Amino acid sequence: MSTQTPTVHAVPQLDVHAIRQQFPILGEKVHDRPLVFLDSAASAQKPNAVIDCMANTMRHQYANIHRGLHWMSERTTEAYEGVRDLVADFLNAPSREEIVFTRNSTEAINLVAHSFGALLKPGQAVLISQMEHHANLVPWQMLRDWAGIDLRVAPITDDGDLDIEAYKALLADGKVALVAITHMSNVLGTITPAKQIADMAHAAGAQVLFDGSQSVVHHKTDVQALGADFYTFTGHKLYGPTGIGVLWGRRDLLEQMPPFLGGGDMISTVTFEHSTWANIPHKFEAGTPAIVETIGLGAAIEWVNKIGFDGIAAHEADLTTHALQRLATVPGLNIVGHPRVRGGVVSFTMADVHPHDIATLLDRNGIAIRAGHHCAEPLMRRLGLSATARASFGIYTQKEEIDVLADTLVRIRDFFV
Amino acid sequence: MNTSTTERDALYDRLIVERARAPLYAGRFEEADARGDGRNPLCGDKTHLDIVLNGHHIQDIKHQTRGCAICTAAADLMAEHIRGGSVAQALELSGRFRAMLVEPPPSVVVDDQSASLGTLEVFAPLRSHKARIRCAELPWIALKEAFSHVDG
Repeated sequence: MSTQTPTVHAVPQLDVHAIRQQFPILGEKVHDRPLVFLDSAASAQKPNAVIDCMANTMRHQYANIHRGLHWMSERTTEAYEGVRDLVADFLNAPSREEIVFTRNSTEAINLVAHSFGALLKPGQAVLISQMEHHANLVPWQMLRDWAGIDLRVAPITDDGDLDIEAYKALLADGKVALVAITHMSNVLGTITPAKQIADMAHAAGAQVLFDGSQSVVHHKTDVQALGADFYTFTGHKLYGPTGIGVLWGRRDLLEQMPPFLGGGDMISTVTFEHSTWANIPHKFEAGTPAIVETIGLGAAIEWVNKIGFDGIAAHEADLTTHALQRLATVPGLNIVGHPRVRGGVVSFTMADVHPHDIATLLDRNGIAIRAGHHCAEPLMRRLGLSATARASFGIYTQKEEIDVLADTLVRIRDFFV
Repeated sequence: MNTSTTERDALYDRLIVERARAPLYAGRFEEADARGDGRNPLCGDKTHLDIVLNGHHIQDIKHQTRGCAICTAAADLMAEHIRGGSVAQALELSGRFRAMLVEPPPSVVVDDQSASLGTLEVFAPLRSHKARIRCAELPWIALKEAFSHVDG
């Protein structure tokens, strides 16, 4: 960690107290202690803006979309399709038609594995990294097994950065058709050098997909500036509801790709013999979608936009620096991963105390963290660990909560050693 | 932990902490009549059992456990309890141990069987920590596997 203080520009300070007032759940107690929620990387809590928007949709303005000729359906369709515009703007996508709604990031990646995968030929390869979540690993293994493609894995350094030289070497034979890499590791906190990854992939004739599940929450995302071809994220980590995720894909790629799921809404014409497909994005949205959740995601994006990513990124960087400093003072604690650029996710282990025991004892003190392999078993193996404890921070996290975490960890260690 | 915290942490009885830190039956036997493995894919914990049998009599047992305090202590206390008994007795104890973890406590009739669980009762508070019951069950699952290769 550098102790140098970066030049501070006029970044708007977050009023964390006022923000917390908007999250009713943060007033709850767990085991008679105030909830200290340090598990936002698994799923973030929801502000009133999202809760009220979803409840009001169901109370006052709800019907199925895209098919009704009545007032309620038309209004609901407008609200639903309005979120597509919001998401396009949120990602700086060139057009709204390139935004496909999915259930979550996992489904978005599966969609690409299935439909982009259908365009691949045996001998071509997909390249992932050692720090992928199972969501960005298992779909490619499945594709490998039915399409006869190769699956390559770019190593990481001991610090938890992508090994760029090894990555370059894996691209060298020109057989990689798609690079699929996380934009921010859910275990190590590593923010990957996306632009560099994309430029190198393109130079080798490959497309690139970024799993943005962790990163969209922490800073402004611009898929065009990154040079991405596909980008995925999920609503529930962005203070929105579960059940709604997003795939952004370049128009020409989405247009070439066959549909993922078949059913209503994704067709142009249907006879018993044959069907033709709707235009993008509807080609990829079969059946009645998660209407209320999509509208809720829109509320979350508007809420985040209003706070602004300058303030959010500065707040979370500040929290992360504080956490790394405080946790370093806990006897026997080892931070897992020291990437060059990182977000608000800190994994750690403690000598002589298993991560699950840490999590249970923290919970008894009202502190919620995650422990386990974080859906990244191969990464755990690479790190020589079976599990880690992980604290992750959000817009509502306070430095005092990190202090409570560090103090409680000291007591837990005393208890076990 | 301070006193108030200790009260809430009844889950971690001192015996669990001690056996996790310094298990008495940890290790391997080169020669064993039955071996069993337990693995929890959710957390990566694993335990291996080496059992020396004399007929249907458990002469000795060692475990090699890589897991949390509850899993390690459960393996160690299981070894302590079944050592010197018969395979049938061990399996019967396994059933009562499981019942203690998953069944609601008897409200009217206090059965005399629960008393005979002895030090294994330190795991009873897990009943209200469903996410951690598997930790204590893992060595017993390994035991079942080990005995599945032994003629009843």
